[in-house]
Amino acid sequence: MFKIKISLFPKTKSLENKIDSFHDKVIDSAVLFRKAIKVFLSQDGREEYRSVNKQIKKIEHDADGLRREIENQLYAQNLLPNLQADVLELIESMDKINNQIHDVVYKFHVEQPEIPAELHRSVEILCKQVAECCENMGIASRAFFKDLSIVRDYTHKVYLMEQESDLTCNEIKKSIFASDLPLANKIQLDLLITEIDQIADIAEDCADKLLIFAIKRDI
Amino acid sequence: MGAFLFFLSSGLFLGWSLGANDGANIFGTAVGTRMLRFKTAAIIASVFVVLGAVLAGSGAANTLNRLGNINALPGAFMAELAAAFTIYLMVRSRILTSSSQAIVGAIIGWNIYSAKPTDLSLVSTIASTWILCPILSGIFAIIIYYLTKMFLKLHCVSLLTQDTYTRIGLIIAGAFGAYALGANNIANVMGVFVGANMLHSLPLPYGFSLSPEQVLFMLGAIAVAIGIFTYSHKTMATVGRNIMQMSPIAAWIVVISQSLVLFLFASPALHEFLISHNFPAIPLVPVSSSQAVIGAVMAIGLIKGGSSINWHLIGKIIIGWIATPIISALICYISLFVLANVFNLQVYN
Repeated sequence: MFKIKISLFPKTKSLENKIDSFHDKVIDSAVLFRKAIKVFLSQDGREEYRSVNKQIKKIEHDADGLRREIENQLYAQNLLPNLQADVLELIESMDKINNQIHDVVYKFHVEQPEIPAELHRSVEILCKQVAECCENMGIASRAFFKDLSIVRDYTHKVYLMEQESDLTCNEIKKSIFASDLPLANKIQLDLLITEIDQIADIAEDCADKLLIFAIKRDI
Repeated sequence: MGAFLFFLSSGLFLGWSLGANDGANIFGTAVGTRMLRFKTAAIIASVFVVLGAVLAGSGAANTLNRLGNINALPGAFMAELAAAFTIYLMVRSRILTSSSQAIVGAIIGWNIYSAKPTDLSLVSTIASTWILCPILSGIFAIIIYYLTKMFLKLHCVSLLTQDTYTRIGLIIAGAFGAYALGANNIANVMGVFVGANMLHSLPLPYGFSLSPEQVLFMLGAIAVAIGIFTYSHKTMATVGRNIMQMSPIAAWIVVISQSLVLFLFASPALHEFLISHNFPAIPLVPVSSSQAVIGAVMAIGLIKGGSSINWHLIGKIIIGWIATPIISALICYISLFVLANVFNLQVYN
C-alpha cells in the first residue's frame, strides 16, 4: 500500500509530461503549417518546403506515439477513472488536427497546385487564421489539464478564428471560380482550400467537446 | 460463557449486516469508481471500525444504557433480534430505516415490558439527533464543497495531481469514516449487552489492557468487519455506480461530511471538550450513516443546481423515524413476552 502511494506521484508526473509534450506537438504543427504554405507560395522555396514537410511528418508521427502512450498509461494505471473516456476522446480529437495538417501539407507536396499570385495573400491569411485556431485549441486543451478557469477564454478564440477562416475560405473560393483558370485547376484549388478550412473545423469540434468535458470536470 | 456467546449472536448478526450495508457508505464510491481496490478498502475499513469501536464506542453505548439498562442476557438478545427483524421488515417495505432507530425502539419495548421508566427527555434528545443528522451532514457538505472549490481555484491544481489527492483523500476519509462508524454505531450492535456483559478484561502487551466493555465492542466490531469483507463488495459496486454521476471529489465531500457527523455524535473526547469550554454539548447518540449520506448528497445536488429537494425521499426518511422505533418496540415487547412465558427465560432482573 505504502509502495503504491510513493510511486503514484512520479507516474502521474510522467503522464503529465507526456500530455504536455502532446500539446506542444499540436502547437508546433500549427506554426509549421503556416510556415509550410508560406514557403510553398514563394516560388524558390521548394527545398525548404520539403524540409518543413518532413518536420510536420515527424511531429505527426511523434504525436501518434504520445497519444498511444497516454492512452496506455491512463488505462494501465487506472488514472482519472471517471474522466478516462473524456480525456481519450479529447486527445484523439486533437490528434486529428495534426493528421489533417499533415495531409494538407503532403497534398501540396504531391499535387504541386498552381495558385494564381493574386490569391497568395488570401491563402496566407487563411492559413494564419487556421493556424491560430489550432494554437488556441492546443492552449485550451492544455488548460483543461492544468487550469480549468482559462479553458473558456481560449475556446472562445477558437470559435472566433474558425468563423474568420470560414469567411476567408468563401472569399478565396469565389475568387477561384471567378478567375480564368481551367476548370480542373479550379476544382483542385477548391478542394485544397476546403481541406485547409477543415483543419479549423476539426479544432472547432475539439472546442465543443472540451467545453462539455470542462463542465464534467468541475466538482 | 457458551450461553453468553449464544445470546450475543443476535448482536453479532446485526453487526454483520451493518458492515455489509454501511461499509458501502464509506468506501462505495472509491471502490465503485475503481479508484481503490475492494481488498484495500475492506482492510482499511475493518481496522478502523475496530479501532473506533474499542477506543470511542463507549459514549453512544452509555446513552443507550441510560435509555434502558437491559440487565438480563435473554432480554438483550431479544432486543437486538427485534431490532434486526424490524430493519428487515422496513427494508422489505422500502422505508428508509436505520439500526439506530430500531435499537432505540427495542430498548423502549424492553422498558415497557419490564415496567422500567423511560427517560422521555432522553428519547426526545435522541430523536432530535436523527433529524439533525442529515441536516448537519448537508451543512458540512456545503461548507466543505465551497472550501474545496476555493482551494482548487486558488492553487490551480492540475487534473492528474487532483486525481492523486482525491485518491489519498478517499482513503483518509474512508478510514475516518470507518473509525466514526465503529465509534458511533457499535452502540447499536453491542450497546444493549453492556449491562449483562460477562466478558473479562483483556491484557495487551506493554501494560495496556481492554476493559470488558471494550472486549465486547471489539467482538461486535469484528462482526462488522466480517460483514464488510463478506458482503459489502456488491453494495459498494452499486453505490459506486449510482453516485458515478458525482465527481470523485464530490463523493469525497459526502464521505467526509457523513464521517464528521458520525464522529460528532460519538466522540467522548469532543463531548468533554465542548462541556469544558462552556459550549453546548452534543449528545452521544448512534445515528444513521445512510441518512447522513443522503443529507450530504442532497445538499451538493442543491448547490450545484442540478436537482431540487427530493420530498419523496425525505417523506420515506420521516416515516422511518416514526415507524421504525414504534414497530421495533412492539416486536420487542411481544417477543419478550413469548421468551418469558413460553421459554421461561428471565428477560429482566
